[in-house]
Amino acid sequence: MPRGQKSKLRAREKRRQAREESWDPVDAQATVSEEEEESSFSPSPDVKDDLQSSPASGTPSSPQVLGEVHSTTASAEAVSSTRFTEDASDQLEETLNALHADDIAEYWHRGPLDEKVVMLVHYLLYKYQRKEPITKVEMLRNVIQVYKRNFHEIFKRASEYLELVFGLDMKEMDPNRNTYVLINKLELSCDSQEHRGVPKTGVLMTILGVIFMKGNCATEEDVWKVLNMMGLHDGRNHFIFGDPKKLITEDLVKNDYLVYRQVPDSDPPRYEFLWGPRAYSETTKMKVLEFVAKANHTSPSAFPPYYEEALRDEKERAQAKSTARAQIAAMASARSKAMANSLSLPK
Amino acid sequence: MQGSSRRTGTMTDVHRRFLQLLMTHGVLEEWEVKRLQKHCYKVHDCNAPVEKLEDFIHNINSVLESLYIEIKKGVTEDDGRPIYALVNLATTAISKMASDFAENELDLFRKALELIIDSETGFASSTNILNVVDQLKGKKMRKKEAEQVLQKFAQNKWLIEKEGEFTLHTRAILEMEQHIRETYPDAVKICNICHGLLIQGQSCETCGIRMHLPCVAKYFQSNSEPRCPNCNDYWPHEIPEVFDPEKERGAGLSKPSRKSLRPRQPL
Repeated sequence: MPRGQKSKLRAREKRRQAREESWDPVDAQATVSEEEEESSFSPSPDVKDDLQSSPASGTPSSPQVLGEVHSTTASAEAVSSTRFTEDASDQLEETLNALHADDIAEYWHRGPLDEKVVMLVHYLLYKYQRKEPITKVEMLRNVIQVYKRNFHEIFKRASEYLELVFGLDMKEMDPNRNTYVLINKLELSCDSQEHRGVPKTGVLMTILGVIFMKGNCATEEDVWKVLNMMGLHDGRNHFIFGDPKKLITEDLVKNDYLVYRQVPDSDPPRYEFLWGPRAYSETTKMKVLEFVAKANHTSPSAFPPYYEEALRDEKERAQAKSTARAQIAAMASARSKAMANSLSLPK
Repeated sequence: MQGSSRRTGTMTDVHRRFLQLLMTHGVLEEWEVKRLQKHCYKVHDCNAPVEKLEDFIHNINSVLESLYIEIKKGVTEDDGRPIYALVNLATTAISKMASDFAENELDLFRKALELIIDSETGFASSTNILNVVDQLKGKKMRKKEAEQVLQKFAQNKWLIEKEGEFTLHTRAILEMEQHIRETYPDAVKICNICHGLLIQGQSCETCGIRMHLPCVAKYFQSNSEPRCPNCNDYWPHEIPEVFDPEKERGAGLSKPSRKSLRPRQPL
């Protein structure tokens, strides 16, 4: 928000706080009717007790709107004076709380539900970029909170927003565990050469992780063990990924992300997976290790042997890059010297 | 959103793809953005005329407005190149980074940020940053690890590294300017010309006012006797050239080398 507006909003917030303290039913009614037009939610029993004795009890929305004011003025002050004292998960909550619910409500003539939709969109984008699936439990705890009863509406509207604005589709990954994943709708509709990095489904990253942590070569059984935990089974069509066997042994192989080959001298034939050349060029051991670490709520250094290997890989890549850069720079300076000389420009 | 009375643009797959790719990259230079835009048209709607970039972005921003997200345009502090970043407006700083970094890594960034803001040149040496490693929150980090993390920040365009010293990438400035100004009101430096946050720049040795290098370039363009806008004393520093996108493409080099600039002047 532009600075000017923000200080205007703060002034409004102060006035609102003052208004709340000297409760005026007439005033409240005016605000409430405005809010009521936009939001369509049922009163939540979690509202603060001190507001339930309010005279303007005819409209269910009023205690909730003011309840929101009560909690956000406190958090607004906390945010402005807080420097950096929370840990990462609290950080995310603080981030979400900083959306000054009252500012938004006042400025956009929206109700608290709309703010929750915005917060949920931010949260879902955050998870999408981390390539992590989303669970209902996480959404309720981190975003929805007191509006538990309105989960479906908030979720539906957030999903619509993501589809409309970002072209991301919300799909249920595992109906038993209420897990969802965002799929890039656009990618499915055309062949993209511009997209950076590996597909965001996380399946590939998981497989690359298994391969890496099995010494850069994993048996087919190893891979299936992990895929089964994600709800992918051989011979069972998955709602999003279709035939998992085809995905990992054909599609990803064809796209050079994986190498699938028979274990030498195996009879009956058994198969193993390795990283494909495209995996090496589009991601790194360190990135894959970070992915695995995050999925296990830890950090890469918790896996010392793999962390060391990943560090070595990073070093080699950096060295290769700087050698290449030096060569290009040398060529460029030689070229520019030649140009300068040929044009006889003063140096 | 339904309740909003603001005019919103229409999003097509062209815009969505553009937004997705910009989100993936985080920050892009103007020429890259133009190329990206053309690519999106090619992929989704090759018959439509390519909309002027400014209008195209304005269109998307009008839809993003109610989400407190914006495609922001900025200018690099050292050579005035226009860049674009997808920025979260309503969140506290560092939240964008939270999707890529662990708690102790974010804390390292905060420490580096504070050292950069407090420095005279806008650069903090890696030695100074690494010295605070044992004060970090979260899991204990060794110096060797911290070096890697600093490189990661540079790769992800949150910091810029120059000869072992670090400053803020323009992306970080775009994303965090508001937060930085609110959190460090006494330590921040401001440009006398554009009144924006200043990390690197030149300063008047007499009265101490500061200016961004591209602001200096524009202000003193074709002025043979540059004088301080505040105290009128002779401006002692070398005046950089105004960034010219045409010139850069014509030279045929991968990046123009700003030999005339010495961005790390003590302020």
